[in-house]
Amino acid sequence: MKFIISGLERFMKLTIPGLGRWSVPLVVAIVVLAVLPQVGMPRAWITYLFQFFIILTVANMWSLHAGHSGMITLCFAGFIGLGGYTMTIGSYFGIPIPLGIVLGAIIAAVFAFLVFFPVYRLKGVYFAIATLVLPQIIKYVFFIWDPVGIPTTGGGAGYTVVGGMAFSRIDVYWMALAAAALSMIVLLVVSNSKLGLGLAAIRDNDNAAASSGVDVFRLKLYSFVIGAFVVGLVGGVIYLRSQYIQPITAFAIKWQMTAILAAVIGGLRIRGGPIVGALILTILHFWLSGYPGYSMMVQGIILVIIMLAIPQGIVGATGRLRGTRVYRTALQLATGVADRIKGKGNM
Amino acid sequence: MVDISSLAGPLVNGILWGGLFALIGMGLSLVFGVMNLINVAHGDLVILATYFAFFLSTGIVLRHNLPLDIDPILSLVIIIPVMFGLGYAIQKFLLNRARTVSAEAPLIIAFGISLIIQNAALRLWTPMARRLTPPYALDVFIIGPVRIPLVYLIAFVAALIMVFLLREFLRRTYLGRAISATAQNKRASHLMGVNTGRVYSFAFAIAMAVAAVAGICLGLIFSFTPEKGIAFLIIAFGVVIIGGLGSMVGTLLGGIIMGLVMTFGGFLLDTRWQMLLLYLVVIVVLAARPQGILGR
Amino acid sequence: MEKRAQEISQEPLLKISNIDVFQGTFKALWDVSLEVKAGEIVGLIGANTSGKSTLLDTVSGLLHPVKGKIEFDGQDISTMDPFRIVELGITQVPEGRGIFPDMSVLDNLIMGSYSKRARSRKKENLENVYQHFPMLETRKKQTAKTLSGGEQQMLVLGRGLMADPKLMLLDEMSLGLAPIIITSLYKALQEIRERGITILFVEQNVRRSLQEADRAYILEVGRITLSGIAEELREEEEVKKAYFGV
Repeated sequence: MKFIISGLERFMKLTIPGLGRWSVPLVVAIVVLAVLPQVGMPRAWITYLFQFFIILTVANMWSLHAGHSGMITLCFAGFIGLGGYTMTIGSYFGIPIPLGIVLGAIIAAVFAFLVFFPVYRLKGVYFAIATLVLPQIIKYVFFIWDPVGIPTTGGGAGYTVVGGMAFSRIDVYWMALAAAALSMIVLLVVSNSKLGLGLAAIRDNDNAAASSGVDVFRLKLYSFVIGAFVVGLVGGVIYLRSQYIQPITAFAIKWQMTAILAAVIGGLRIRGGPIVGALILTILHFWLSGYPGYSMMVQGIILVIIMLAIPQGIVGATGRLRGTRVYRTALQLATGVADRIKGKGNM
Repeated sequence: MVDISSLAGPLVNGILWGGLFALIGMGLSLVFGVMNLINVAHGDLVILATYFAFFLSTGIVLRHNLPLDIDPILSLVIIIPVMFGLGYAIQKFLLNRARTVSAEAPLIIAFGISLIIQNAALRLWTPMARRLTPPYALDVFIIGPVRIPLVYLIAFVAALIMVFLLREFLRRTYLGRAISATAQNKRASHLMGVNTGRVYSFAFAIAMAVAAVAGICLGLIFSFTPEKGIAFLIIAFGVVIIGGLGSMVGTLLGGIIMGLVMTFGGFLLDTRWQMLLLYLVVIVVLAARPQGILGR
Repeated sequence: MEKRAQEISQEPLLKISNIDVFQGTFKALWDVSLEVKAGEIVGLIGANTSGKSTLLDTVSGLLHPVKGKIEFDGQDISTMDPFRIVELGITQVPEGRGIFPDMSVLDNLIMGSYSKRARSRKKENLENVYQHFPMLETRKKQTAKTLSGGEQQMLVLGRGLMADPKLMLLDEMSLGLAPIIITSLYKALQEIRERGITILFVEQNVRRSLQEADRAYILEVGRITLSGIAEELREEEEVKKAYFGV
């Protein structure tokens, strides 16, 4: 028995370079989730989990920007739209969709790269508003520009995805899982690396970090661009599922809002925060689907309440719990009882 | 080349539109100057006022059609106090508390407020594009080659009046001085006995009162939907950046410049390019002068 | 401001008892006690990092002690808001002038009389300020940021007077100013004391402080290390060694 337990312990402590002690749980989770649709998971769950993966991805990346790098970015709509459009337009020119999705991520990343230089020096709020304007600009570009050249419905470049039907629900599910997994890996790798350390320093105090030799600009740039890539990737997946894209919705604030909400609810700077936040938001999303038109309001209200009442997020709040007397006493009692049963020591 | 006399139209109308933009920007400028907060819900709050006026003048809300027919400008008598109170409450109960939480908290909370307002307006008045249409909405003055809609003039005059009122208020009343002082040197104003919490609440409330006027003028000139809030936020932000903080006259100038960009954009290109051009100008100004043009 | 009795009364106007004060997570003041009696001029001497500004800020209510008590005129002000403390009659002339840069000289002065206490006496106090600093009257329409360093200091002194204070706190008044200006400022300070206003000032310059003050405290790294009557302190061996390099 002991042998098995210690073997398990050692297995759990295995690490993949860069991923730290979450390596095993992460890999296990990914494998399990990937296999689920094949072992007869109810169809509805495919939809639920799909939504969860998407929300988790954007929440993770917003956490990367705002929580880890100290940049409040409001341009996710731009990345998602770019990813979606690249894939869609590509489908008209014979580019296979999976490639189109990756291309979309690259385009989003390149866009982020170019755009970062002029806005980088802006302080906090100015920076945030500048990023807010960007998706609007892209939106109007697509209002005016019709690269595919077909008669459009709705405003501007509204297209259906060519060959989108070839991908089943399950295929799209796996793509979303891949995106979410990527976002988790990115977050873990970043936190455990020199990049993460530098970002943490920047987040706390820009100037101090700079005078300690941290290249603030470069680190923020990396963080911004990486986030853009992953969000662009998931943008392609989102629009593959919905099969249709148009400027008004592609660049809407919806996904940005979801990302912020999930990250904040779970806990902005806390490991695992976005996971909890994404979970809650997914539940909320499906719970509220019976009340169309109220979900935005409810999310807004929750955002306000959480920021005021539990600003450290739910995971953060439980962290506090762990420090309290009550919890510690309970823990002591529990382990004491366990020891008793095993026949050791006295109480 | 372009016929000079045909430039008169965009020129005049751009300036007049500038009045509207200045009105929209004034509230944002006040709040930003005093408490260093960009209220991302500002555009939505302006449009909220517009919807109030819409409701009072048409009686339309949800599926009802109440027998209301109050002229929009007259309805300001009701709407200004309502927006004032709303602004005071938002600052006092939400934003003041948010400041103690973290630096980003007020921004995020304002974001939440923006969502709530958008959704409420969507529910109450549907996504349909609306306009304020009192009988004089279509009156036009014709001066030579230039057509000037009456509502443009109204907005411009309103802007001038508000700039004047606000300036005098900030200079001559104790509360106005306190607001101004807090914007210039928060610590010193603390030491003068200024209750900064109260000052913030009043500043936000006043900003909302101005937003009310801006909202009515907006509804008379443009069509509006619940989702237009962001567009007007960005315009307001552009006005503030170009015109500079703390100067009400600067805001007027900033508005006029934005107005001219928009009219000439539409004149030289076409309407779809107008908004694009406007946004590009905002980004360019931001990139070129990160501290704002008259940055303090 | 009527002329109050010239004698220095016995009951302290300001009494600080054993306070600890934190700036964030940093403990800036350790078990500090200090007294200022009505009509006195008391100097608080210390280097840059000694915590002098922290002490003044705590009296003004911008910071609060985690331990100990501050009493003013018999009242416990340890946890009061800054604007309430101003109403009670304490005004601070902050470090680095602390002017309202875009306001005129006159508007700056009027801001001084913001508290309810001072508003009713705005006219009289303005007259008095102009008497102390005639320059402020001649430049009353000038924008504050265009004044020279010395003039700005006079402005904030005048502004402090507009608040109709019982106790005036001065943080590093002479920073960056020429000696001749500093002399005239301290002369004004003595005149202000003649009006019955009690003064607590913070200074780095030991010699100057001991000249101008009745009593003084020496603050080092957050603790009071020495205190007493200024004349006596001047003779103290330790002071001589530490500060005069003897």
